[in-house]
Amino acid sequence: MRVLKNLFLLFVLSLLFACKPGVKTGEIAVNDFFKSQDRAQYKVSPDGKTLSYLKLQDNLQNLFTEDIATGKVTQLSFLKSRGVRFYLWVSKDELIFYRDQPLQTGAEMYIVNKNEGAPRKLSADPKAKIRVLEDQLIDNKFLLVASNKRDSTVFDVYKLNIRDGSLSLAARNPGNIADWITDAEGRLKLAIASDGVNETLLFRDNESQAFRPVIKSSFKNTLVPIGFAGKDGRTVYAISNINRDKNALIELDMVTGKEQKVLFYSDSLNVVEGQYSRAKAQVEYVVVETWKKQKRYLNERAKAFYGKLDELLPKTEIKIMARDKNENVFVLRTFTDRNPGSYYLYISGQQKLKKLADINSSIHEAEMCEMKPVSFTSRDGLTVNGYLTLPKGGKKEKLPVVVLPHNGPRSRNGWGYDAEVQFLANRGYAVFQINYRGSDGYGKQFMTAGFKQWGKKIREDVIDGVNWLIVQNIADRKRIAIYGTGFGGFIALNCMSENPGLFVAAASNSGVVNLFSYLKSIPPFWKTSLQMYYEIVGNPLTDVDYMRSVSPVFHSDRFKKPLFIAQNAKDPRVNPGETIQFVKELKKRNIPVTYLEKDEGSYQEKKEESRKRFYAALEAFLKENLKK
Amino acid sequence: MIADKTSGYRKNFLLIITFIVLISVLFILSLFLAFNFSNKYIENEFSSAKVDVLEKTIGPYNDFFQNKIPEVSYYNGFLDSATAAKFTDTVLLKYPFVSKVIFYDSEVKNEPVRDGINASHFSFGPKAIYQFGSLVPLDSVKLFSYDNTRSFSVGDDFNAIGFKLVSFVESLDTAKAPSQDELFSNFSAIRSNRITYLNIPRREDLKVYKEMMRRKLASSPVYQQDLLTFQLDPYKIRIVNSRPLLYQRIRIEPLTYDPIDASDLYMATEITLPGPFSDYKLYFQSSRSFIKKEVFSYFLPIALILLLVYAVLMLVAMLIYRNLNINSKMFKLQYDFITNFSHEFKTPVSVIKIAGNNIRSASSLSEREQKHYGKILDEEADKLNGLMNKLLAFTQIENKSISLNQEEVSMRDFIESTIESHTLKYSDFEMTYEVSGFDKFITDPVLLGSLFDNLAENAYKYSNPGNKKLHISARLIRGRIVLRFTDKGIGIAAQDLEHIFKKFFRIQNQYNQQGSVGLGLAFCKELVNFMGGEIRVKSKINRGTEFIIVLPYINT
Repeated sequence: MRVLKNLFLLFVLSLLFACKPGVKTGEIAVNDFFKSQDRAQYKVSPDGKTLSYLKLQDNLQNLFTEDIATGKVTQLSFLKSRGVRFYLWVSKDELIFYRDQPLQTGAEMYIVNKNEGAPRKLSADPKAKIRVLEDQLIDNKFLLVASNKRDSTVFDVYKLNIRDGSLSLAARNPGNIADWITDAEGRLKLAIASDGVNETLLFRDNESQAFRPVIKSSFKNTLVPIGFAGKDGRTVYAISNINRDKNALIELDMVTGKEQKVLFYSDSLNVVEGQYSRAKAQVEYVVVETWKKQKRYLNERAKAFYGKLDELLPKTEIKIMARDKNENVFVLRTFTDRNPGSYYLYISGQQKLKKLADINSSIHEAEMCEMKPVSFTSRDGLTVNGYLTLPKGGKKEKLPVVVLPHNGPRSRNGWGYDAEVQFLANRGYAVFQINYRGSDGYGKQFMTAGFKQWGKKIREDVIDGVNWLIVQNIADRKRIAIYGTGFGGFIALNCMSENPGLFVAAASNSGVVNLFSYLKSIPPFWKTSLQMYYEIVGNPLTDVDYMRSVSPVFHSDRFKKPLFIAQNAKDPRVNPGETIQFVKELKKRNIPVTYLEKDEGSYQEKKEESRKRFYAALEAFLKENLKK
Repeated sequence: MIADKTSGYRKNFLLIITFIVLISVLFILSLFLAFNFSNKYIENEFSSAKVDVLEKTIGPYNDFFQNKIPEVSYYNGFLDSATAAKFTDTVLLKYPFVSKVIFYDSEVKNEPVRDGINASHFSFGPKAIYQFGSLVPLDSVKLFSYDNTRSFSVGDDFNAIGFKLVSFVESLDTAKAPSQDELFSNFSAIRSNRITYLNIPRREDLKVYKEMMRRKLASSPVYQQDLLTFQLDPYKIRIVNSRPLLYQRIRIEPLTYDPIDASDLYMATEITLPGPFSDYKLYFQSSRSFIKKEVFSYFLPIALILLLVYAVLMLVAMLIYRNLNINSKMFKLQYDFITNFSHEFKTPVSVIKIAGNNIRSASSLSEREQKHYGKILDEEADKLNGLMNKLLAFTQIENKSISLNQEEVSMRDFIESTIESHTLKYSDFEMTYEVSGFDKFITDPVLLGSLFDNLAENAYKYSNPGNKKLHISARLIRGRIVLRFTDKGIGIAAQDLEHIFKKFFRIQNQYNQQGSVGLGLAFCKELVNFMGGEIRVKSKINRGTEFIIVLPYINT
């Protein structure tokens, strides 16, 4: 009898545990989506013999190498705080790595020999940023770097002696140079100057000469040099949309400034990337992006070579992450809309493919949702593209929707795995991303159409999109929320204040609440771009009324529905005091505001714990407002 | 027994009187207390509700101070004369107590300034000064510029906040973020009738300011700062009298205002205004008679509630008294009944006893005597039996514990047999009858018999000898049987007519000295009701009485 009783008790207990609240079936834990990568930034040494990567240990990334032939793993950095943020190979044995730093402070740089270990500090100026321009060593000890050591607003070019860490000026920036480009031999021959509105491409034949302006273009145009074409030292591959609406791949004569050849152009396809082979000094293929990225091979050899990869890794996107100098050993990354993908090692001589690591092993493709391209016509007749991700299973109409406007200015949503989108879709919401006007990748006209339209036509595009979704019967008009980060947060707040009938709730993550402050927050070393931002966002001297009328901080009285506002109080990109004042005013007006103060990071937290905290709060907020 | 009864009831009555007196005293006392309380309460209210008035009055100022002024910071130093004019227009329009706004379009730089503040390499000075206000003439909007420095004087609001800025930047700990409150207090100055506010720079800018104080920066940066001075007029504050019944007059007066003619006719109180208005106070005044009105308006509902409670208590007392009264009457009636009834029983019982005694004491009984006593015993036993039956039947009918028998009866035969039995009993009883419109109908013959017997009995009893006549008529009128019993008897007085159907009611006269318990007519009424009919009576003193019985006509 007693045994029976105990058995019964056991049974009841097991039932209790089985029904423990928490993760429902089909609902994937928040953390699984936003896991930090165990192993990231796979690279390969210039001689193609060693693999390198950053491995997560106690929430810190440390640098490791692995001998490809023997598989021997060596740990090179042993950091206990502020891990490795970024690294690169500078010779077949030596690597340079940067440590994590608070935003907008200088760089802390180390060099380490993979055979010797014991990293050496190269630079730790708290004010100066250092950017490596060319990863090839000159005279086996000098590295070309750009730094704002002399003046925080401009980057000069220095020769960094990696043996003793000393810096010597290589080229002084007259103040307007925004970027420097080297040729195949590591000689500084190209520079991009900017006066804020116009960009000038400068060229010199050899390093003893002075730079000479070659082509001048407005920032509304794209002109991105990719690398030198051939060995003549004066022809450059560039992605350009000068005199075109979409980007093309062209050859540019840097002496005459003339466009010599158009290698790829299409009225409907926008070139976003050129795969440049340094060894062959040629572009092998271009990546064009419509609703998804696609390769267009420029020669038969490339087609055969990369076509092989497509055969080995079917039904997935492939991106070349790193390669050795002889272009024999490659690190590849795959991904789809439902799979964050994996790293692979590919040795072309042996046609051997080896899986290195998954980006996020907790994500199973079958549980993720399909991301479909959609498009609609705005009220003024513009075709606006976007993506719609519907939750798995169940009905496909009258769904609760989270509208997800992307950050900006000048960026876009692309097709691929997006943890945030998948997380929201997994929670049962249809996720609607909109590449509103001003977004990149849809041609010059489409982008410039968004200039100074924040809160106006850009907002109208989002509203038109939502109305289209309602007409399609996909959205339940009573359960639509809007959530965005940065400028996406700005759009979310704007939509909420101007169209309160359409949305039940709005969430903003490190959102821009005031365009004036946004312009103020542009760091001094971007001073050259300030005029450009004035054109895109608004000129605080002449467009005061416009900027005031669309900045949410001035209009706390227009909000009526629940809001979720998150920010890091130390975020230098926004003025946190303003957001707090804004939240206070909303609370005084009895608007339900959930205010979350993030303890680190800006847009997305670096630490897994902080990310989890943010997304759990967001989930609760959306659930409360959308699942009534 | 009678004494007990009466004294018992008198005691209860006394209790009720005591009760009424007590609650009346309580009522008056509570009225008095309530009035005193109202008086005290209103006096307290007079001195405490001013906080409420102050809060409501100062509301727009708080909104201005907490929400509108920080808006200057939102412009991040980008204000110029045109945009500042727009901003101040909204301020002037929305907040009437702001009389003038002075806008200092200022700069923070590394180069020393001629007008402004220089602290080592840190300089803070105005580029231009503008004033805005409804009374400012258009040609004097611009007060100061680099080329025209006439209206800039040291000791100005500008310098006050300038010193604050310098000392704040000097002691700034760049490692930690200053709190919102710290920033606000360091970038604003509140003085009598004016608020000066400097837009709060971003934390990054403050770090540069600190650097600028230490050394000359290579890029010689220039930062824009907007300084606004709001001149306030306390007399333009719109007073919100949230208690118009309490405060007759509310004014804004200087802090020193203290009228000497404050007589006993007036009550007054005051409260100091906050922040830049601290040299002024709200002065509240009401006349005594005005306050009295408010006291009454507060007291009246309390008094009404008290009155209601008092009324309910009185009603309860009255109802208790009434019930007691009825009970006492019932008690008396039942007592009468018992007396009557015992008397009623006594006669036959004593006759039986005498007869019994006679039979026992007689040595021998003649046949005549034997028959005589036999007859007496038989008759008296019948009488007792009749009494018992009557009582039983009555209680049964009253409790509805018997059921109706349904039998077909011929009216004519029924009346004839009644007449026969009564004339047999009373040879001087003259009875006549008539039946028209029907003959046979369905009823309970026993109950109907009792009814006829009772009414015939009464007619005989209450008629003078020689005039003992009864006419019974039975008619079918509009589907109902109407029976009339008309006698030529003594009649019933009008005041008694409504009581004759009550239990134990007897009209006191020589005709019913014995053999009556006052149940007969009450019994008849119960019977008729039981049979689904009704009974009425018409009577005239010394002329006769007519009982009218209406019964439902049920035919086969």
